[in-house]
Amino acid sequence: MEDFLQRLVDGLSYGSVYALIALGLVIIYRGTGHLNFAQGEMALFSTYCVYQFGEWGIPVWIALVLGMGVGFAVGAVSEVALVRPISKKSPFAVFVVTLGLFTFLNWLDGAIWGGQQLPSSAMGSTQLRFPSLFPAEADALWNVFGVAIRQERVGILAMVLVISGLLYLLFNRTTFGLAMRAVASNTESAKLVGIRTNVVLMVSWGLAAAIGTVGGVVMAGLNSNVNLGLMFTVFIYGSAAATLGGFDSPGGAVVGGLIIGVVENMAAGYVQDWIGQEMKLAVAFLVILGVLLVRPSGLFGTAKVERV
Amino acid sequence: MNLLSVKGLSAGYGPVKVLDGIDLEVGEGEFVVMLGANGAGKTTTMRAVSGLIPRHGEVTFDGRDIHRDSPDSIVRAGVAQVPQGRGTFPELSVADNLMAGAHVRHGKAAEVRADIEKWFGVFPRLGERRDQRAGSLSGGEQQMLAIARALMSRPRLLLCDEPSLGLAPLITQELFAVLGRLNKDDGLSVLLVEQNANLAMHLASRVYLLETGRIVASGSAAEIGADDSIRKAYLGF
Repeated sequence: MEDFLQRLVDGLSYGSVYALIALGLVIIYRGTGHLNFAQGEMALFSTYCVYQFGEWGIPVWIALVLGMGVGFAVGAVSEVALVRPISKKSPFAVFVVTLGLFTFLNWLDGAIWGGQQLPSSAMGSTQLRFPSLFPAEADALWNVFGVAIRQERVGILAMVLVISGLLYLLFNRTTFGLAMRAVASNTESAKLVGIRTNVVLMVSWGLAAAIGTVGGVVMAGLNSNVNLGLMFTVFIYGSAAATLGGFDSPGGAVVGGLIIGVVENMAAGYVQDWIGQEMKLAVAFLVILGVLLVRPSGLFGTAKVERV
Repeated sequence: MNLLSVKGLSAGYGPVKVLDGIDLEVGEGEFVVMLGANGAGKTTTMRAVSGLIPRHGEVTFDGRDIHRDSPDSIVRAGVAQVPQGRGTFPELSVADNLMAGAHVRHGKAAEVRADIEKWFGVFPRLGERRDQRAGSLSGGEQQMLAIARALMSRPRLLLCDEPSLGLAPLITQELFAVLGRLNKDDGLSVLLVEQNANLAMHLASRVYLLETGRIVASGSAAEIGADDSIRKAYLGF
């Protein structure tokens, strides 16, 4: 029982990171139909910035907010300067552009903050100490039904739920959120009701990258360090989460992320002998494969059905 | 003075030129019908006036040059389009579709809510389905929704692109009756594009005939209706 609860809580906090990355993927996919391969690396760049702000003596929570600002700018500029002009020529080429952005940002991080470059960066890059947003000392524990739960884990989960709630309000209770949903549903009609679709798309990319920043900072906090390979596997888990939840469903992204996190940790813990830490990633692929076979639109995604 | 005045309008898609110098006018409170066969350029005309595609030539609305304006500022100026094939937001609820239609009127929530109720009064079937996803509505209901959504911006000119497409004649009649009332009672100016305009003809104050990107005839509904060859080609009787 104690093992189970520990693994559940661990799974939920890693799942929170996947949920944040998946949320970013979903926001961009809904707006433009593109899969942003650079989602994880955008988050990593702004996470490095948060590290840098910390080095300059800025408290971690303020650094996080500044980092989200940097993330927002990186996302917005990428959309305006790269994605938009390219997608006019060829929507498919956007896929290559985001891959290019992926490698460029990782190179840039390496050039500024040191460490080995791709492709071996995941293994040997410089590990820079990274603070946690929540109390992470060994004795920062809460006792829940006789099980010691780390406060950090609870804080992370709470933060992700708050962010999800705020996003829900943004999407469903504000004019801008309605405009975002309208653009996602039918871009041309959105123009015809007077929505500035360019602004909506720019802000969507910015928002996705800002949310990703939180994911990167939480992940670095869980790891106690930031390195060039931090977001590789996280991005894959995040994609699996978005696939599981449904690529057009923000709520699904959160639920999908948490499920993947829990499944991953349970699998690694209970069936250690033949899955173990190294094979955890295979779990994500199995989930993607299974979902695509059984329910291609994901748990909460909408299969496009329309009467004419 | 004319509300909408178009002179020498050319537009197309990439290297394909669809419109080749069109002149047309819609006066304040007028109901103008543009007839044309498939591929004549009716939809392109609508899209060019609304600013969805690059265009050349003069387009003035209420004395203001709008031919370089973006779609959103054209909506703000008072022109709303009901696109061909309804173009609703299928994943959004009926009420949210109407709310999105009022995008340019943000800050006036009470007024907007009152307008939504007003259109639910005009189209009771939309009111019954207010929380249903627009994509689940029938074709006729979606067309009503598309019209109501366009009217949510409180336009002075309504551009209507083949609303009868794929609808039962009875439904089309119902829709045109509503458009006629809006024109007569509320003074809404309408530019309606149709392929088969039997039903629209008696609403029209003036008619234009479009053939392969050019206006080939124009006149009052009576004049156009009296022309045998036009009647056979476009009105089918």
